[in-house]
Amino acid sequence: MTTQSLDRPAERRHFGELMGKPWAGVAMLLVFYIVLLAAFSILSPWFLSFNNMMSIGTNMAFIGLMAAAGTPLIIAGGLDLSVAAIAGLAGVIVALLNAAGVPIWGGVVVALFIGAGIGLLNGALATGLKMNPLIVTLGMMSIVSGLALVLTGGLSRPLFDPSFNWLGSGRFLEVPVPLILMLIVFAILWWLMRFSRFGRHLYASGGNAEASRLIGVPVARTQIILYVISGLSGAVAGILLSATLGAAAPTAASDHLLTVIAAIILGGTSLFGGRGSVWGTLLAVLILGTLNNGLTLMDVSSFWQDVTRGVVLLLAVALDIVRTRAAGE
Amino acid sequence: MRGVWKSFGSVAVLRDVALTAAAGEIVGLLGSNGAGKSTLVKILSGAYSADKGEIAIDGDPVRIDGPRSAIAHGVGLLPQELSVHNDLTVAENIFLGDLPMRRLLGLPAVDRGEMARRAGSVLKQLGFDHIDPGRLVLSLSVPEKRVVEIARAVAGDARILIMDEPTAALTDQEAKSLFQVLRRLSEQGVSVIYISHYLDEVFEICDRIEVLRDGVNAGSFDTETSDHDAVLSAMLGGAVEQLYPEHGTATGETLLAVEGLSVDALLTDVGFSIAKGEIFGVFGLVGSGVESLGRAIYGALGPLDDGSLTIARRAYRPRNPRAAKAAGIAFVAAERKQEGIVADLTLRENLSLPFLDRFGSAVRVDVGAEKAHARHWIEALGIRARGPEQRIRFLSGGNQQKVCIARWLVEGMALLILEEPTRGVDIGARKEIYRELRTLADQGLGILVLSSDVEEIAGIADRAIVLDRGQVVGRSETPEEPEALMAMAFHEAASHDAAQEVGA
Repeated sequence: MTTQSLDRPAERRHFGELMGKPWAGVAMLLVFYIVLLAAFSILSPWFLSFNNMMSIGTNMAFIGLMAAAGTPLIIAGGLDLSVAAIAGLAGVIVALLNAAGVPIWGGVVVALFIGAGIGLLNGALATGLKMNPLIVTLGMMSIVSGLALVLTGGLSRPLFDPSFNWLGSGRFLEVPVPLILMLIVFAILWWLMRFSRFGRHLYASGGNAEASRLIGVPVARTQIILYVISGLSGAVAGILLSATLGAAAPTAASDHLLTVIAAIILGGTSLFGGRGSVWGTLLAVLILGTLNNGLTLMDVSSFWQDVTRGVVLLLAVALDIVRTRAAGE
Repeated sequence: MRGVWKSFGSVAVLRDVALTAAAGEIVGLLGSNGAGKSTLVKILSGAYSADKGEIAIDGDPVRIDGPRSAIAHGVGLLPQELSVHNDLTVAENIFLGDLPMRRLLGLPAVDRGEMARRAGSVLKQLGFDHIDPGRLVLSLSVPEKRVVEIARAVAGDARILIMDEPTAALTDQEAKSLFQVLRRLSEQGVSVIYISHYLDEVFEICDRIEVLRDGVNAGSFDTETSDHDAVLSAMLGGAVEQLYPEHGTATGETLLAVEGLSVDALLTDVGFSIAKGEIFGVFGLVGSGVESLGRAIYGALGPLDDGSLTIARRAYRPRNPRAAKAAGIAFVAAERKQEGIVADLTLRENLSLPFLDRFGSAVRVDVGAEKAHARHWIEALGIRARGPEQRIRFLSGGNQQKVCIARWLVEGMALLILEEPTRGVDIGARKEIYRELRTLADQGLGILVLSSDVEEIAGIADRAIVLDRGQVVGRSETPEEPEALMAMAFHEAASHDAAQEVGA
C-alpha cells in the first residue's frame, strides 16, 4: 500500500474526490458567476447597482422560464425545440383576441391552454409514435412560428393594458415581477425534481428508459407531462415578453431558442438524459444574462456578444469533461 | 508482464502481478469479479497505463501507451461485447484500421478487390472460408461475428490475442466451433489470454490457468494435471463448498398455471405450472424461445396471441409490466446494463424504484425510509458497496444483480421471474444468489428461472421444461442431470443442428 500512495499524490486524490461530488459542477458555475460579477464590477462603474442587477433579471426571466422547464424534459430523455415558437404564438393570441374584444385575461387563459396543448401533441408524437423528439419539435417549431406569422401577417400587434403590462414591467417590493415569476417556477421545479416521486421517475426515465419501463415506471406519462410543462412555460414566457414590450411580435422569442438550449447545456444537463439539475440551469441563465449586460455596459458590439457566448458555452462544457475525468469516472 | 501495480483513487486493484504466455500457449485468466483480470488485460491492450511494472514481448521490453501502440506491438483485444460494425461488410470490418489502398484517377481509393482477397485468405486461415467477405456483418450469426473479430486481430498481425468472455452469448455448439479457431491460432504460434467465468470451458481450451485474487497472483495451474477444486479454491481463497444449494421438494399449492401460451413467431402452445415455494427452470439454447417466455408472462411483449394464465387461482392477462406488478409478478431481465439498472442513479434509488409509492408521498419521497431499506438489503444479501449512496454503475455485475433481485422483494409479490440470473456474475456472487433464491422459495415465493446455461438449470431447479423453437420439447421432474436436459434440447433440434455443423 505504501508504494501506492507514492504513485499518486494525496492532493491529487483529494482533488479528484472533490470533483466527484454531485454538486461539483454547479459549484464550478457558481465560482465562474462570482468571478464574472467581480470582473464587471471593476471594469464598469455602472454594473454593480441594484437596478442593473434587476434589469438583468427582467431581461433573462422569459429565457429562464423556458430553460427551467426544458431542463427536466431533457433529463427525462425528451427535447423541445418548439418552446420559443410557442412563446411567439402565445403573445400573438393574447393580442389578437384582445383586439377582437375578448378580455385580456381571457386571452391569457386561451394562450396557456394552447401552449399546453401543443406540448401535449409533442409528447404524444414523441412517446406514442416513438418519433425522435428532435424531429417532432423541429417540425412543431416550424408549424407554430408559421402560424404566428399567418395570424399577424408578420406584423407586431400593440398590447396595452395597465394590469397586463404590470406583469412585464411592474415591481413587487422593488423586485421585477417577471424575475419573481421565474424564481417561483425554478423553486417549484427544484422541489419536484429533488423530492417528489415524479422527479425520481424523470431521472430514471432519462437514465435508462427500457429498464424503467420493465420495472413499471410510467416513462411515457412522465415524458408527456414534461412536454406539457414545457409548452406551458413557452406560453408563460411569451405572455411575459409581450407584457414587457407592450406588443406581441410573432418572432420576438424565436431568436432566443439557442440561448435557452445553451443555458441548459451550460448548466450541466446531459443531452443524453439522466443527469442535470435546475440549479445549474439557473446559474447558467444568470451567467449568460450577466455576460450580455456587462458587455453592453462596456460598449462591446452585440455581434461580439454572440461570439463570447459561444466561447463560454464551449469552455464550460470542456471544463466539465475535464472535471469528470479528474473525478475518475 | 511483471511487477504490475495499478490503483484507482485510493483502491489498489493490482499489486505486483505477473502474467506470462509462451508462443502458441492458451492461458486462462480466472478470478472473481474485482480480482483484477479486466484491469490487467486493459493495461496489456493499452486502455489503462500501469502505475508500475514492465511488459516484454518476445523478450524485448515494450512500452504500451495506448490502444494503437498495443496493436502495433501485436496485442489484439476482443472485448466481451461484440465490437463489429453491423452495416459494413465482413472484409471492411476486418481491415477497418488498415484499409488496402490504390490510386484511382490519381486519387487514393480503397482497393476492394485486394481487400476481399486478403479477407478471404485470413478467414481460410481460421477455417471459416465459407463466410463471404462481401456479406454484411448484419447477416452473420453471433459466433461468426466473433470470428470476424478474431480475423481482424489476425489480419493486424496479432501475436497475443486477449479474449474477454468470448462465449457469453454463445451456445455450447457455437463455443465448440470457436475453440477450433483458437486451436488453429495456437498452432500458428499465436498466444491467447482467455478470460471466462465458465470453469469447464477454461479447462477444455486452455493449456494453463492463471488465477488472480484481490489483485495478486493466487496460483498457476496446468490444466492436464490439476482439477476444478484446486482452481476454485485458489479463486475463492478457501475451501469450496458446493455452488448450488440443496434442491427443494415443494409440494405447495399451484401458484402460476400457464396453458397454451403463444406469441407470434416466438412461442407456440407453451404450458406448465409452478407451485408456491418452487424454483422452476426453463432451459433452452439461444433462439429457442427461452429469451421470450419470461417476458411474455410478465407482459413486456404486450398482450399474448393466445393462452390462459392464472396466478394464485385468479385469471391473469399479461398486458404490460405495470399490470404484472399489480398481480404480484416480478421480473429481472438478462441484460443488466440495458434493461436492469439505471446506471446514474444510486444503489438506494435503484432499489426503491419499482415500489417508490411505498416510500413517503408523491410530493415527498421518504429518503430516510429508502436508506433504511437499502441498508437492510445490503446487509441481508451481502451487497458489496460503499453504502446506499454509491452510484450503481460502480458496483460489480454480481452486486448489481443482487440489487435487481432485492428491489422486488416487498410484500405482496408472489412470483419472481429471472432471465439468465447469473450472466456476467462472478462465481462467489453466483453462489450467494443461488442461496438467496432458495431461501426466497422456502419462504413461499414461486421462482421461474430461464437460462441457456444447462448446468444452472440442473443445479437450481426443482422441476424444469426444455424449449426448442418456441415449443416445450421436454419436461423433467428431477432435473439434476445437465446431460439429460441437453439431450432433450437436441432431440428435436438434431437435424437442424447437424445442418449447422456441416455449415461450420
